Amino acid sequence: MGQAATVGDAATPRERVSSAPSSDMAISVRGLTKRFGTFTAVDAIDFDVRRGEVFGFLGPNGAGKTTAIRMLTGTIAPTAGSALVLGDDVIAKPEKVKRRIGYMSQKFALFEDMTVDENLRFYAGVYDVSGAEFAARRRYILRMADLEGREDELTANLSVGWKQRLALGAATIHEPELLFLDEPTSGVDPVARRHFWDLLYDLADDGVTLFVTTHYMDEANHCHRLGFMYAGRLIAQGSPTEVRAAYAPDGATAGTLPSIEDVFVHLVTAHRDRQEDGA
Amino acid sequence: MNPRHIRLLIWKEFTQLRRDPLLLRLLFLMPVLMLVMLGYVVGADVKNLKTAVVDLDHSATSRALVASFEASGYFRIVRHPNDERALRGLLDHGDVVVALVVPEGTERRLRAGRSTELGVVVDGSDSRTASTASGYSAQIVSAFNRRRIEATGVKLQAPGIDARVRVLYNPGLRMVDTMIPSLIAYILLISTMSIMSQSVVRERERGTLEQMFVTPISRGEYLIGKTVPYMLTSIVQMVTVAIVGRLWFGVPFNGSPAVVLSGLFLFMITAVGLGLLISLVSRTRTQAQQTVMFIMIPSMVLSGFIFPIESMPAEIVPLTYLIPLRYAVVVMRSTFAKGSGFDDLAFQLVAMALFAVAIFGVAVARFSKRLAD
Ligand SMILES: Nc1ncnc2c1ncn2[C@@H]1O[C@H](COP(=O)(O)OP(=O)(O)OP(=O)(O)O)[C@@H](O)[C@H]1O
Ligand SMILES: [Mg+2]
Repeated sequence: MGQAATVGDAATPRERVSSAPSSDMAISVRGLTKRFGTFTAVDAIDFDVRRGEVFGFLGPNGAGKTTAIRMLTGTIAPTAGSALVLGDDVIAKPEKVKRRIGYMSQKFALFEDMTVDENLRFYAGVYDVSGAEFAARRRYILRMADLEGREDELTANLSVGWKQRLALGAATIHEPELLFLDEPTSGVDPVARRHFWDLLYDLADDGVTLFVTTHYMDEANHCHRLGFMYAGRLIAQGSPTEVRAAYAPDGATAGTLPSIEDVFVHLVTAHRDRQEDGA
Repeated sequence: MNPRHIRLLIWKEFTQLRRDPLLLRLLFLMPVLMLVMLGYVVGADVKNLKTAVVDLDHSATSRALVASFEASGYFRIVRHPNDERALRGLLDHGDVVVALVVPEGTERRLRAGRSTELGVVVDGSDSRTASTASGYSAQIVSAFNRRRIEATGVKLQAPGIDARVRVLYNPGLRMVDTMIPSLIAYILLISTMSIMSQSVVRERERGTLEQMFVTPISRGEYLIGKTVPYMLTSIVQMVTVAIVGRLWFGVPFNGSPAVVLSGLFLFMITAVGLGLLISLVSRTRTQAQQTVMFIMIPSMVLSGFIFPIESMPAEIVPLTYLIPLRYAVVVMRSTFAKGSGFDDLAFQLVAMALFAVAIFGVAVARFSKRLAD
């Protein structure tokens, strides 16, 4: 690893990340690294996510996106580097950070053999959401997830779109300031996906910072800023337009910029070729 | 440690348990099935043993003696060869499993106030049948002697027919009486292990385990919330087995509850630890169940639960010390049948405490480590 360290730097809209982590940011990461044995899953990544931003985290399978999220949520300890989440050091004080963030995974992490209501009740208890507050949150989430009147249904019997929205409700029951979403829309039909992104925009409008991984390039276009991961390294970052412009052929106009998907494929193949040449 | 979190996790576990038919079956059907199976089949008294009688005495006494064997119900006389030499063939072919040889002159010697021997030949290929048969023979013979003494009213110097085998502690040789106390430990082990591992693996499969550690729930809270419900259910199971054993099978309890409870508590910690360890090495619920079986088979065979350790080959015996169930079986049997106390069982209880600390400690350490990676 490491031979691809500076690939494409000249052309990449690699924002100058200041060397010191900033506590004004929702997330500020410096040199974050995770090794499993001799395998480096996340290799010294640096980036900042501003408060209120929708940050898209892209990369092929096995790039290290989930591993990075697990470090940022305080689930696993990094091998090296630092990470400030909502101004707090997540490595030193994971407990403090955990109360202020939410996490939703592709698996939704709902208890399938519990009812809608029981799931909400459980997650409310986990975050110590008090009785009165819970009643209000519950009403809001049931309406948001379109589950009013289905409170006593077993979660297993809900179809995927509803499960997904319930999972979002459960992950935000404590009104987190920062929400991590790891492939929240895989296996969901386009209509439900559109609906889900509307809900994410509502959250963003309320000032919640969103950190989203996805393999859908149309979703990447919804983000304010993107980070591309490849083989554990962060190889490009910037707004969707910046990223597309950086990889446009000479003389391209605003109308002929490559799509995010083209950029993604270009980045991945370029790095793969580099690595093979280096090896 | 937030007690509200722990209560919440316990509530969640019971809510899920109520809705999981597989776990519920495991929980309540299994002890009942095992109780019936082991209580009636394995633990059933050996009866109607096919028996050959060689009566060389042809006397009233010899006939009465044989009759008392037959009347016991344990022996069914199927052959009457005239010659001892025929017995070998009958035993070889499995036509009979027991042979009685009443030597010539039995009645004469008894009348003369001398002692005489009754030959009991037992097919040793099934050690359980063999020990049962010799135990019963000894009892029948001594009862026969007692009746003879009472009938003649004479205090004879010699006891009459010689009975050498003495059966200690379990005079009825009722297998159930030794089976059910050990069964309590066995059920505790198998069900705690399977249910613990199933429920943790299921949470991992569904992603709720990972989710838990993104929330303010701590590892300690999670572990307590996970283990306490299953400790409670195994207590219910054990009590069920004990009550059914006591009331239905009439198993006597002569021991001290404190000793039994200490033993079972230590064993429960071990079982919970094993369940956690299994959940760490298994990716799917099926794998977890297979791993449980992988532990259960040596536990069943090498613990003395079904096969007596005394009759194992000498090279195998050291292995039995590695099986935690071995100690629990001794504790349960000795307290139930003999009323053994803490000092009698010190070795077993210390061994169980060491197993509990080691296995549970390693499980918790590995569990935290695994989550940290
Ligand atoms: N606990 C672990 N032990 C060993 N290797 C791991 C572990 N967790 C992840 N990995 C490896 O680290 C690499 C990055 O995995 P990660 O799940 O972070 O990728 P990802 O970008 O989320 O991929 P995907 O798009 O498929 O979700 C993979 O090669 C994976 O096999
Ligand atoms: Mg992933």
